[in-house]
Formats: sequence, structure tokens, C-alpha cells
Amino acid sequence: MAAMYKMVWCGVMTIFIFAGLGCAPSASKPDPSVASSAPAKPPEKRPGEGQRSATKESTQEGSSLDQLREGKPPVSGPLKDVFFGFDRYDLEAEARSTLKANADWLKKNPAARIEIEGHCDERGTNEYNLALGAKRAQAAKDYLVTLGIATERLSTISYGEEIPVCKEQNESCWRQNRRARFVIIPSRPAS
Amino acid sequence: MMVKFVFAILWLVMQPWLVHAQPKGETGVRGEIVGQGGLKFPIAVSPLKNLGTGADAARLSEGIADTIVYDLDLSGWFKVVDRAAYIENPQKSGVTLGSFDFKDWSTIGAEGLVKGGFTIQGDDVAVELRLFDVFQSKERVGKRYVGRVKDYRRIAHKFADEIINQFTGVPGIFNTRIAYVSTSGGRFKEIHVAHLDGSEKFQLTSNRTINLSPSWTSDGKSVLYTSYKDRNSSLYLFELYSGKEVKFAPRNGRYLGGKISPDGQFIAATVETGGNSNIILLDRNGNLIRSLTENAGIEVSPSWSPDGRQLAFVSDRTGSPQVYVLDVASQKARRITYSGNYNTSPEWSPRGDRIAYTGRVGSRFAIFTISVDGGEPRKLTAESADSEDPTWSPDGRFIAFSSNRAGKYHLYLMQANGENQRRLTGSGGDDTKPSWSPRLE
Repeated sequence: MAAMYKMVWCGVMTIFIFAGLGCAPSASKPDPSVASSAPAKPPEKRPGEGQRSATKESTQEGSSLDQLREGKPPVSGPLKDVFFGFDRYDLEAEARSTLKANADWLKKNPAARIEIEGHCDERGTNEYNLALGAKRAQAAKDYLVTLGIATERLSTISYGEEIPVCKEQNESCWRQNRRARFVIIPSRPAS
Repeated sequence: MMVKFVFAILWLVMQPWLVHAQPKGETGVRGEIVGQGGLKFPIAVSPLKNLGTGADAARLSEGIADTIVYDLDLSGWFKVVDRAAYIENPQKSGVTLGSFDFKDWSTIGAEGLVKGGFTIQGDDVAVELRLFDVFQSKERVGKRYVGRVKDYRRIAHKFADEIINQFTGVPGIFNTRIAYVSTSGGRFKEIHVAHLDGSEKFQLTSNRTINLSPSWTSDGKSVLYTSYKDRNSSLYLFELYSGKEVKFAPRNGRYLGGKISPDGQFIAATVETGGNSNIILLDRNGNLIRSLTENAGIEVSPSWSPDGRQLAFVSDRTGSPQVYVLDVASQKARRITYSGNYNTSPEWSPRGDRIAYTGRVGSRFAIFTISVDGGEPRKLTAESADSEDPTWSPDGRFIAFSSNRAGKYHLYLMQANGENQRRLTGSGGDDTKPSWSPRLE
């Protein structure tokens, strides 16, 4: 209960910060808008969805940290993951189309609030990857806001490279780990 | 190379026993024992003699010798003569000058010799250790230590440090510890602490979440680390002897990492707000003093210069992560690395002259060092595997790092020029992000 309260509080704080900053779109990487058409690192083919367990809408997915603590494999909810290139936080065309679908779901479920998790693959430095994951979560959030989702419904957290979904050392696996994940925050139970 | 070679020969043969060549505390090093090929200094380490009647003597006799052998071997500067070749019986011959025959040692090729004895009383032990010059039939240094029997390895480490001091004018770094992140307990990342030889290992955190980026305070008494144990990443300062812990969390955003300044008065912390990471300066109690970087990008991984006036850090302000150096007073930053498009985790050498970092080469990661003035980086590890997370020994002569060259990530040690790479850990999990302590008492 305390943890849940903290999560909500954290969301509120995040909203507070973003309101103050005016939610400027992050664009410190050169030309993120054209990155998908002329990338330095070409986007890999997205791994088959079969790698991820099929989703039942009724499943209540928890945060990646909760699932790690409980020893459960990551469960996907109705919102699909968005994938990134190595050391990139710009949104590729496929990522934008996934985010549009996620925005549609959020519009159909106006009470839902979500926490966006930024993740990285295992390569590179942990602290840098925490920052990179934060950028990815923020990029996903900013795009959802431009699609009309209220910023108050969206909070972010980065887990860097710390909670991979795929543990093998190959590009297909790394690709699955470089993701933004969307977790529906359980509404606060009335007490 | 030739100059170095000749110097090494001179150092080792002509005047190998230059005692206290310089006052302690100076950062410069008079001589290197260049351990290449046949140049390693041949030394014998005799099992210690039981001078008393205490039990458990065999463990100490060989245990102390084994620890000294491990340390000397790890340094890469010595060739320890195999114990099987030793002629004399350590329990029968003496341990002081004149009470044994140097010929027993010169015959088997030893030019240096370590002998010693111990007396056990209850839980305590008194140990005397001596280093002899076999060539000149002289004693170079003798030390007497008193401690708990269970701490005998520390006594051995201290004397190994003294041996290095006799050769180079700067004590060794074997009486130190490494804090690191390990998944050896399962799927969680916990902070562990151990001596270089893996002894006295213990788990500093056991909160079953993610704990990262340990670093030591300069008194060696506390470890600062990043943890998700309260859901959001925050900094925690853990005092080893008391078990007391202080949490630092920013008013806005989250801490991703931090380092205590050399004088212990400040913390350089990475704070993330709204997706942007920047470096800020805190006082020891976690109060904000001021921001050090203010960019809408990634600014992470501060590492203090030994004088506390500058910080190395990583910024992606040009589009790729590169190492920069920031003057704390003026907040002016200058870029150091220009090769490659991924250079992270800078660590400033305790000698002050170089910065070690992780750089991407092709699809692999390698350890580099570069002058604090920039220039050509020096690659120290091969790109047949990934090597990351360099940390300097307190004397700046060694670098520990993590590498997956044997499958999982383990900790490794090498000389600061990349030679003599050795594996340190072999837990069942991944061991990463080592941080080398200062010298211990």
C-alpha cells in the first residue's frame, strides 16, 4: 500500500516537473526525425512477436521491478513495447505506429494511467544506460502527448540494462531489450 | 621500450633493494618492475615456521605463504619459484639472517626470499616476516605483525605491499578490497565486497532488487551505491563498520549514480529529471549546492580528479557519448575523447595523469586510457570479448575491470599498461562494475 502510494506520488511529481519544463520534445540527437529513413545503424528487423508471450487482456502486468522481485517472466498488457536502435532514443517509423496504437487504447480507456519504462540492452555502461533508458521512456511519453494523451496520465522510469527480457548475447535479443514498456498503474483502491 | 628494458634490468639487478627511495605520499613512482617475458624477478616464498606450540599451524604456515605468493604473482612483476623445488625444511631451518643457508635458495634460482615465523596464542597470532636478498646474502626488511588468527591473510597482504615498496618505493595495493555488483545470488543485482584474492567476501546489500555502481569514500570506510530498493533509483551511503546507511533522493527526479569527492565533503551526483540527466554538486548531507551541467541530453558518470578540482564525465551533447573534463569552479568542460562513437564510464587515475574508460570498438567494448589532456587513447583489452567498467588501484599501477571473455562477466585485473591480465572472480553469476578501495589500515 505504501509502495502504491509512492508510485502515485511519483507520477504526480513527474507531472509537476514536466509542467514546469513545458514538455519540450527531446531532440538532442542529431535529426531524430530522419533517423529512420537514413540511420547510421539501420533498424534491425523486429523479432517475431512469438518471442513474447501472447497477451490476455485480463492479465494484470506489474512493473518490471515487481516482476523481477516475484520471479515472474515479464507479462505484456494491452500496450505494446516500442523498440530502439543501439544507443538511440529517437522513434523509428514502426515505433511511432506502435505508439499510435497505444494512444488509441489509452483514448478508449480514459481512466487508465500508465508508467512508461525505458530499457536498454546489456552492452555499455550501466549508468549511461540508466540515462539512455530515461530518454527512451521520455521519447515515448512525448510522442503520446503529441497524439493527444494527457501528460498527467503518463509517468516514466528507467531500468537501464538491469531488467532484460532476453538474456542471450545476440542482436535479436539485444533488440528486444532496447525497449519502452507500458505498464498500467493500478488505480488506488479506496481505503 | 629499450630504455625501459635497460632501466628494468638496472633496477632489478644493479640496485634492486633501494629502500624507501622516496617519501610516502608522493604520487610519482621511481621505478617500475617491468614484468615481460623473462624479466620477472625470481623470488621464493617459504612456508612459515611455527615458532610456538599452537595448533592449526599448518593452515597458517602455508596460508600466509600462499597469500604472499598469490599477491606477488598477481602483480605480474615476479616469478615465484615453485614450492616443490625448495630444498630446506621450513620447520627446521631458521628464519633470521645466519640461521639458514642462502645456497639452498640461490641453487633453485631465487634472487629474493621471503621467510617468516609465527606464534599462535588463542585467537591471536604474532607473525614476523623478512625479505632477503639472496645475491647479497642480506636482509632487506623485516616486519612484525600482531592480529587475529582469522585475519592472517591481511597480514600477508600487508607484507606483500611492503615487498612491492622495497622494489618500487611505493607500497603495493594488496591490502585493499573491491566492491562490485554480482548476480551470484540469483536474478538480483547485489553489492558484494571482497579482497583481491576473493577472501573475506561478504554481501553488502541483500534487498532483492537492483543495486548498482558502488564507489568508496576516500577513507575506505563507506560505500556509495545506487539502488532500486525503494522502487525509484536513489543513492545510499553505507558505512561498513557500523552498518549505518544514509539515503539521498533528489527533490525532483532520480539519482542514477554518484561519487564522493576525495576530501569527503561533496558528492557529484547524476540526476535525471524529465528524461534529461545532468551532474550536480551536493554536500555530504545530500543538499544541493549547484548544478554542474545543464544540458537537454545525457550527462552522467562523474569521476573526481585526485585534487577534487575537476570531474571527468560522459556527455552525448555532440550526438554520441564522449568523455569530458569539467573544472568544478568555473564549470567549463572540455572534450577529451575523439576516437569512436561510444566512450563511457571514465575513471580518473589516482596519479592524476590519465583517465580510464570503456570504448566501443566495432561491436565490442574495450578498456582504454587517455591522457587528461586528450591525445591518442591507449587500448588495453582485446575486442575478442567485451571489457567494461575500469577502476584504478589506489597507486594507479593496476586497473580492475569486468569482462565476458570467459562467458559470463567476471572481474579481471591488469597492469595499467594492459599487461598481465588475470581473472579475479568466478562466481556463478555475472560480476560487474568493480570499485577499488583505498588502502586499508
